Amino acid sequence: MSNLKTIFGILLILSTIAILYALIFTIPVWLVYLIAIICIPLWILSLGFVTMAKPRKGDEEERVKEPFTGY
Amino acid sequence: MAEILIDVIVAFLGGSLLLGLHRKIMARVQRRPGPPIIQNLLHSLKFFFKETAFPKTASMPFYVGIIFILAVVWIIGVIAGPVTENSLLILFGVYAVYKIVEHNAGSSSGSPYGKMSCVRAVLSAATELPLFAAIVLVYAKTGTMNIAQIISYQGVHGPLVASVPLAALMFFVLILAKSPYSPFAITKGKDLVTGYETEHFGVLRGFLMFSESVAWFVLCWLFLTVFFGPISVLWLVVGLIVIAVITGFINATTPMLSPNHSVMTLITICCICFVGTILMIII
Repeated sequence: MSNLKTIFGILLILSTIAILYALIFTIPVWLVYLIAIICIPLWILSLGFVTMAKPRKGDEEERVKEPFTGY
Repeated sequence: MAEILIDVIVAFLGGSLLLGLHRKIMARVQRRPGPPIIQNLLHSLKFFFKETAFPKTASMPFYVGIIFILAVVWIIGVIAGPVTENSLLILFGVYAVYKIVEHNAGSSSGSPYGKMSCVRAVLSAATELPLFAAIVLVYAKTGTMNIAQIISYQGVHGPLVASVPLAALMFFVLILAKSPYSPFAITKGKDLVTGYETEHFGVLRGFLMFSESVAWFVLCWLFLTVFFGPISVLWLVVGLIVIAVITGFINATTPMLSPNHSVMTLITICCICFVGTILMIII
């Protein structure tokens, strides 16, 4: 889970830089669309993974092994 | 970029509040107090701080990736719709991919509820038929698929809802099919818990709710823009609220149809409206 947070932390920083770059500098329209389409969802998803609550120490294993609701 | 960001935020906040209003109206029709209108928005935000678990059977990274694609397609919807007022065909494509996402999100978790929802998503693709037919009829009437040009056309000739009302009705049926607790919402039937969303918890559920709020706003905006022409922000807000009231009332008083009845009803409405509109245009 800590790996996940690290990966999405990096993606959050990269997507923030890309969005700010498109906001501040004048770049071709197609590049603005590309950044918006990829980086806005990525920024939201990354933010979610960074801010989400961690399971308690005792529950961590149980969360991973937890089968889905269907069974 | 600033315009896109503002429109995405407006679509998310507006869509969330409209879905909250929709839920409130359903509750009041059923004589329940119902949650506050802001509840849907609070739920979306709350999930970002919840613990997230991944089912053992989930096929990673597909399980997360498909939710990401859902957000991507509706961001494209915002760009092609409110931002650039581009072609209707792009929005048809967005809706088609949305149905594919529903299908694959259901299968990605490995849950039987998700899988059943995945199968039903194929059937519910029948909702694309009214959308496609409505687009064809709008093209037949205006000679263009560009939203900006359709708005200009209506500025000169009056709103399309007056000249092709059955095409507008067809589009409205699509919005009804997309609304929560709709008689046509077979992919999220209560017998499937929450369908393809059943196994998406925490952050992923919040992300799904974000995309669905944006989707609801874009579809309602598209309906009002394509059939009611150039309208001010005030009338747009009034229109969005009216759509939430009407769909909320219908959904509160109509039971969910079985998958085959849902498909047959959609196709029947589509055929009647299509033939009726063609006759109206010819006559």
